[in-house]
Amino acid sequence: MHSLYEIETVVKRVARYQGLSWGIAEEAGKTVRALEQSALPGLERFDRLISFPYSKCVREINHKEKNQKYLCPIHFGLFFLDQSHKPDNQLTFQFSNILEPLLIIPFLIKAAQKNLISFDFKSNEFKFFIGSGKIISLDTNKIPHQSNDITLEISNQRIKQYSDETWDRLYNMSLETFVEENEEKKLLGAGAGLTDND
Amino acid sequence: MQIELRKPEFVMRLDRLGSFHQSKLSFLRSFIREFKDWEFETKELELDENGFGHCVYVVTKDNKQYSLVCFSNELDDSERSDRVIATKWDASFVLFDGIPSDQDINRLKANVPLQEQGRVTEKELCLSRANKSVRVFEHVVDRLAQGKQPDTDILYNVGYLYRTTAVYGSGKFGLADRIKIQDRGELKGPFRLEMMLVFLARQFTFDMVNHVAHQRSPQNAVKLNDDIARNLGIGNSTGLGMAPFIVNHPALLNQWIISKEKALLAIRSIPNTSQKEKEKFQSYLSTIKENIKFWKTDSEYQIKKNLHLTNDLEKFQNYFGKLDIEKFFWNTVYEWAEINTQAECCELIVSLLMEVYPEIVEPLSYEMSIDEEDYFDFDTSRSIGDVCALIEKRYAWLVEIDFEKKDNIFNFWYYSKNKQEPRMSDRFSEDGAERELPLAIARDINKLYLELKNYPKKDPLSSYLIKNQEYRHILRRIFICEKLPYSEIQDNTISKSLIPVDMLRLKLSFFGATRFDPRSDRWVRITMYQGAPLMKEIHQSDDTWSYKKIA
Repeated sequence: MHSLYEIETVVKRVARYQGLSWGIAEEAGKTVRALEQSALPGLERFDRLISFPYSKCVREINHKEKNQKYLCPIHFGLFFLDQSHKPDNQLTFQFSNILEPLLIIPFLIKAAQKNLISFDFKSNEFKFFIGSGKIISLDTNKIPHQSNDITLEISNQRIKQYSDETWDRLYNMSLETFVEENEEKKLLGAGAGLTDND
Repeated sequence: MQIELRKPEFVMRLDRLGSFHQSKLSFLRSFIREFKDWEFETKELELDENGFGHCVYVVTKDNKQYSLVCFSNELDDSERSDRVIATKWDASFVLFDGIPSDQDINRLKANVPLQEQGRVTEKELCLSRANKSVRVFEHVVDRLAQGKQPDTDILYNVGYLYRTTAVYGSGKFGLADRIKIQDRGELKGPFRLEMMLVFLARQFTFDMVNHVAHQRSPQNAVKLNDDIARNLGIGNSTGLGMAPFIVNHPALLNQWIISKEKALLAIRSIPNTSQKEKEKFQSYLSTIKENIKFWKTDSEYQIKKNLHLTNDLEKFQNYFGKLDIEKFFWNTVYEWAEINTQAECCELIVSLLMEVYPEIVEPLSYEMSIDEEDYFDFDTSRSIGDVCALIEKRYAWLVEIDFEKKDNIFNFWYYSKNKQEPRMSDRFSEDGAERELPLAIARDINKLYLELKNYPKKDPLSSYLIKNQEYRHILRRIFICEKLPYSEIQDNTISKSLIPVDMLRLKLSFFGATRFDPRSDRWVRITMYQGAPLMKEIHQSDDTWSYKKIA
């Protein structure tokens, strides 16, 4: 097996050989490294991407154009990493087709964490949701080589994942670490004995 | 008195960086300080009568263990080459995480002597090889076999028995990635494992001459005297391959330089100096003046630098000897050196100052690493005007350079297919410039700056990036330099006047190398650990060994 350093370095050089700028080649290296480190098939997917052949991939992302096909996932991911600082509350984008969607995930994770936003990716073949936390899960058997009819929804609203009952139960339990004060002590705290209407 | 850090525009010029000397912050010294209370043991010495076979050295503390596995192979004189393209060496080394099993040793035996052509695994941490200094090796073995000690004039003119030609770590050739070991307390310093490998390899060189001498004459042979051995280091030949490292790791470079600058600032800011401290400095100064006589080189460039150093040190000695202690004494001393001596001498004085105050300097050695990943992404919401202002502030030195002039873009850096290492060539007469490595930092920042000037100042950088990604790698480092101002060499690394050896010297001084002997403007021989404690006495080290008289 190759080290993560070797994987990152080889991908960076290959990306450069494919005509990407050094800056994007560095991003490609980091992305594949991050996937391999997470036991996801980043290197295989990168190899398939450049064998498509890569010259046919669309590298200029136009988020207003629904019919863009064969989008390069590296440029796609980078686009959302670079652009998602803009403070719109909720945005929905549509694209026709993207190659090797696995490769966009590390970019979206970084964008989500940096900007406290979430990405909801839906396509005919594959769906995933990325919040601003550090944990995601993917069904690795279901990652397609292409995704079609994509909707990508960006939101800066966290989605509540628990019921009010669960919260109340846990909150009440957390109070068990507190100490009940007697009446005398209650009168000695900050602001005690003064009027707050001064 | 308010004393400030030396400014990046003063420190980060290549002629100054290329005049740095080893100091208390150097990695081989911080390695010894960190590991002096570990147990060092020779575990296996499986060598035949000619010294061929393998050895294992183990370093232990509590439940932690590291092992150096050394392989010694027969090498015809005609095959001995220090060049990186060599395929055979007298000795090869691998640092193993833990203690290797017999199965591991067999696996390593089949791969480690092949170096770049072999494969290692994540159980292994560092890889290296070395060749004998044949003349010295034979002399030492011959004399020991006769029951005599070697001629120290011959020995100290060279300074070592073996010369390494590369030390690899951090994931190369299948080695463990840095992520595996980065949280280990004992490794909280740059290149600590590489320093461990070289320290143990030095012990191997002594064991080797003792073993071969004994095999030649079991009745008469004596062991190499400890005092002589201690004054031998391990050599190293280093070429251009090392130079791009300091450009490719700006955040790390900042940590190295800022640690040194913080140390100097703290010392210059000491209001009261004792006579004892002044005498301590004088004793180090006297020793180094003697030891410089052993710095041998045929390089005109280095001969000239050494001559200036010797003259400047004499001048400095005359000044220092007559100087009375007053408030902020060291600041007065430093300011005099900065004005009256050249960079080579001034930086040596900075290193000597650090020797006097271990309590100030040694803690800084723990600040010399950094997680570079934290600086990879940058804020694309910043305005284009912000970025331009940042370039004008941090990179004022390059804004006016005319990159249309041939001499300013004379060289290009590339990765050699044959040598598997970075190299540099003349862009106008040699092929390959279309595959240039991203090391033309000054030129590219200049181009980016001129380009950004055409965009509305208030627009966010993200707008520019929608259609322009050519300089993404440059934007990354501009934002690094904003936070870490000592991250960037302030010289044009592709100009005709570049002296690449200065880049090597910068890195090697932080390693702790001495006796710089440039063999051209592109490669240099140095010595590591000369004067350092032997393996069996490492626990007695008080970190003053760098300033012991060699002979």
